Amino acid sequence: MHIPDGFLSTPVWIALDVLAVPAVGLAVRKTQREFDEGRIPLLGVMGAFVFAAQMINFPVGIGTSGHLVGGALLAFVLGWPAAAVVMTAILAIQALVFQDGGILALGANVTNMAIVGVLVGYLPFHLWSGGGATARSIAIFAGGFASVLVSAVLALVQLILSGVPMPAPVAGISVGFFAVSALLEGAITLAVVQALETINPNFIRKAGRPKGGAAAIVLAMAVFLAAVGVIFASSQPDGLEKLAMNVGISQRATNLFATPLADYEAAFLQSAWLRKAAAGLAGLALVYAACLAFGRFSARKRSA
Amino acid sequence: MHYAVVERWSRGRSFLHRRDARAKAGALLILLTAIGTAPGLPAALGGAYFAYLILGFAMARVPVTGALARAAAVLPFSLAFAAIAAISGDPARAIALAGKSYLSALAVLLLVATTPLPKLLRGFEGIGVPRFLLMVGQFLYRYLFVIAGQAASMRLAALCRGGFAKSGPAHGTRFRAAAGALAVLFARSYGAAENIHRSMLSRGFEGHFHLLRSPRFGPADWTFLVSSAAVTVAVRGI
Repeated sequence: MHIPDGFLSTPVWIALDVLAVPAVGLAVRKTQREFDEGRIPLLGVMGAFVFAAQMINFPVGIGTSGHLVGGALLAFVLGWPAAAVVMTAILAIQALVFQDGGILALGANVTNMAIVGVLVGYLPFHLWSGGGATARSIAIFAGGFASVLVSAVLALVQLILSGVPMPAPVAGISVGFFAVSALLEGAITLAVVQALETINPNFIRKAGRPKGGAAAIVLAMAVFLAAVGVIFASSQPDGLEKLAMNVGISQRATNLFATPLADYEAAFLQSAWLRKAAAGLAGLALVYAACLAFGRFSARKRSA
Repeated sequence: MHYAVVERWSRGRSFLHRRDARAKAGALLILLTAIGTAPGLPAALGGAYFAYLILGFAMARVPVTGALARAAAVLPFSLAFAAIAAISGDPARAIALAGKSYLSALAVLLLVATTPLPKLLRGFEGIGVPRFLLMVGQFLYRYLFVIAGQAASMRLAALCRGGFAKSGPAHGTRFRAAAGALAVLFARSYGAAENIHRSMLSRGFEGHFHLLRSPRFGPADWTFLVSSAAVTVAVRGI
């Protein structure tokens, strides 16, 4: 689900842009370590393959068909960092060239599909594919399934948090629809991986011995909670704020020093929209500048 | 094909075409932020931004009706959510969802209709987007239509052989056949990528493309950026 511009509230799109910038930067750095610049054509052509693969329909009965989304498949072939980079490039081209997804919402779409979607898709493969043939098949199916379901549910949650009206029956139907799409993605991913291995077993990466299994499980649980638990989030203050209000701390609290971006607003501006927009963009620019400085510093260190 | 038309538009020589990609991207970001942060979309504000964008297309000598139709690609998604909002008793939000997404898509289309994608990606490199990511995007864009053409040929071949006939083989068989077709497409793409890699290495490829002329951010680009930002902010005050 590609979220267009105009759907997400300012705090939501800014927060997700701020999250996506360093995440993509990290994925790029990890990919650069594994793929030298001469191998970039491979990544670009794999991205073009995922685009083109969406033209091949898979019959699913009752006169309908589905198609591959491809995040998990890319992760199985290229590894998660390169898959995240390729998915980011796909999403950027889709937003710019095909008006599929927004530019301000690019951070949200990248977070949902290129970062979380790819990581969650890769996780079962990383953890379980070292077992027997059945465990490996289950891991591949689960990767495709989780990748689509978590991405779609995250997008739905972001829309709800942004105040887009979503009556309970519509949200329920949407989640059901996402689950069916995710099952289809799992089945397509498994069928394509099996067909690929028939052509050339080396196309699919060998999953390394899982390192930091506990961390992976915590990550999976965190993603699950983020995806599903936030549906039940409300616009009420969070627990700590509520406690502070009940005890009366918040009324007595005083600011020790003034900050220019308090309450996510640039206090020095007159107009309300400029205050919010400027604070958000300033935050985004700070994270971007920090990532840029870190990237240049590490590139200089590498070349030294 | 959709992008072949936009690609042709982007090769123009108007005042907007000649501006530096970074100036246009900056102006677009300000406009999108102004639209995105507006509480709702009052008719005056929406109408003013719509007129502003139409003026942009006219200045760039890009066919306005064609652009309006292409930006409508965003509407199936937006109208579905707008309908839900309207049924939920919030018509103002319904209008805002459909209107804001359409105006934003139109603004992005104006940028890509006046800037060839390679120049745009080069502009992004100038503002610090990782070159590695941009190169992946560049290759993706270059080979997108080659591989899509292969996929279309394979689909046509399957159609000619009755691959999608209702009275054909069982679903399971057709599903496996589609998976096999995708695997073949993958293997061909992978082979093509390896060939491209070897050819480029033999021609001295060092990991990035060289432009014949480096982009220059001149006074006209500054003037364009500042004036378009001023108009955007002034209109937002309506």
